[in-house]
Parts: sequence; structure tokens; C-alpha cells
Amino acid sequence: MQSRRHFLKAGGMVLAGFELLPNGLFRLPSAVEVIEMRSDSGGAHVWFDPIGLYVEPGTTVRWIARENVHTATAYHPRNNHHSLRIPERAVPWDSGFLVHPGDHFEVTLTVPGVYDYFCAPHEAAGMIGRIVVGRSEGPGAQPFDYWVGRAGTDGWLQVPDAARKNFPNIARILAERRVHPPRG
Amino acid sequence: MKRLALIALTVGTGLMLAQPTPAAAQSSAPPGGAYKIVSSLVALPDFVPGLGTLYVDPATLPAGPFLAYDHQGKLVSSIYMIPLKDMNAHKAFSDLKVAHERVDHVDMLYNAGHPGVAEPHYHMILWYVSPQRASQLAK
Repeated sequence: MQSRRHFLKAGGMVLAGFELLPNGLFRLPSAVEVIEMRSDSGGAHVWFDPIGLYVEPGTTVRWIARENVHTATAYHPRNNHHSLRIPERAVPWDSGFLVHPGDHFEVTLTVPGVYDYFCAPHEAAGMIGRIVVGRSEGPGAQPFDYWVGRAGTDGWLQVPDAARKNFPNIARILAERRVHPPRG
Repeated sequence: MKRLALIALTVGTGLMLAQPTPAAAQSSAPPGGAYKIVSSLVALPDFVPGLGTLYVDPATLPAGPFLAYDHQGKLVSSIYMIPLKDMNAHKAFSDLKVAHERVDHVDMLYNAGHPGVAEPHYHMILWYVSPQRASQLAK
């Protein structure tokens, strides 16, 4: 998995999707799926849109901040002891804070499975998202408490209640491919 | 003797004029003292839409007060940020500092969180300007 962080305004993003080859030519971008990071004007309600997404392995996912300050952060113990909810072989990501409208971050997802992620300042408010890459498998397809009592999980954090109730059903993601939040 | 008193009065008045009171110092950005611009402490823009340019004494986090200034650097509000979990736990917040300004109106607004107070909380905003002027802080 590869990740790239950009702080470009919207106008610069088209070029960012192309890869400059050594011979001076540009390679067309691979498939890119966009997830918007949203908020109402007062910061009372925040969400990813789509909140659920199906992609094929090798797809690049790009998160773009539209309002407020957000992160896209994988559920993984390396990210501040969050529980593991991405495939074991996948590399975790953390975008860091995307502060200005248009700031964006992208990851290419190659390992099949379910990837759950959250927004660091808004996880407690329920701002989470789920991506299914290829098929439903891995820790993200397990119940939230699957790891409790297992060796090597000391210090892992539970997924907050507000976040748990917002995760879209995997079967719905597989059926609809893009699941939008009720507000989105 | 009268001359000495006059000199002392003149010097004293000059010092008072040269060193603004804490209240006067806070009326324009930057407020000075222990206050730091919030964007230097956490990942927030310098100007937060809807609130303004925020300053806080880090020792008072998370409650604050956060002092908010408009684009011209004039103090527009004091903001207290109270986490819901602390409210639910019946935690008391006492002796919070205030700016010495006339309060025009008060807003109590739910916020889902942001860097620095990364959990649901309430913004309790003591506005020193009218709602019309406050609405001009949207951008």
C-alpha cells in the first residue's frame, strides 16, 4: 500500500493524479475513488461521504477535506492503540490533520479485505468510514470486540459507541458499492 | 514638595498609559501574557470560520477561556469549551477567567470536536459584539 499526502487546492488535483515517467511522459492515473470529509458550518455534525465504499484491489482512495479539520486514520494499533480493523498484511495509514478546504490524502489499497477508519478529532462523535477491497474478510469483518482477551492486545482501545452505530453494513456496501450517510 | 508630587503624578500617569491594563491588553490581538494563538498549539487554521482568531492560555485547557478576535484584531468573544463527558460526570468548572467587556449575548453550541478538544463538547460563547457582527465571522 502506498500513501501520498497533498495540500493542494482543488485546481491542482488533476495534475496530482498523473505520474511523471522518466521519459517525460505522463502515465494516466489508476482508478481513484474520492471520499469527502464534511462538516456543517458550526462543526456540530461531521461525516465521511461516502461512509461505505467498495473498490477493487489496487484502487487509490483519496480523502478530501471540504470543511472543518479532519483526519483519515486506519483502525490499527500503530495509530494510538486503536484496535486492528484492517487486513493484517495491510499497512496502516494516518493522514494527519487536513486543515484547509481542499487538503487531501490518498492511499492505494492492494490487500483484499475490510478497512475501517476514523477521523481522529471526531471519532468520539461517530465520524468513521468503511472500505471493502475485493471481498469481505479480515479483522474489519469481525465484531468490534473480537480481540478482547487475546494475547498481544493490551492497551487496545475499544471503538466508541457513537462510532460503532455508524458503520455501514458490509453486505450493503457489497450491494450498493457506495453508501452515503443519512446526512450526506 | 508640590513640584515633586506633580512630577510623580506625571511619571505615574505616563507609566499607566504606556502599560495597558490586562483588560485593555486583551481587547486587541494578540492578548499577550500566557495566551498563545491556538493555531500554534494544535492543527487549526489561524482564523476559525464562525469564531475568529483564537488565543488560549494552555494551562486552562480544555475549558479556556479562548479569546476570539475578528479580522481587524478586535476582541469579539470569550469561549469556554466544556466536554460532554465532563458535564455528564457533573464536573464543576469554577473561577473561569473573563474578559472585561460588556457581554452582548451568549451562544451555547454543540461541537463534535476538533484538534485540542477532540471529543464532543459545548462552546459557551460570551459575545461582545452583536449577532450581526458575529455572523460576519463566517469567513
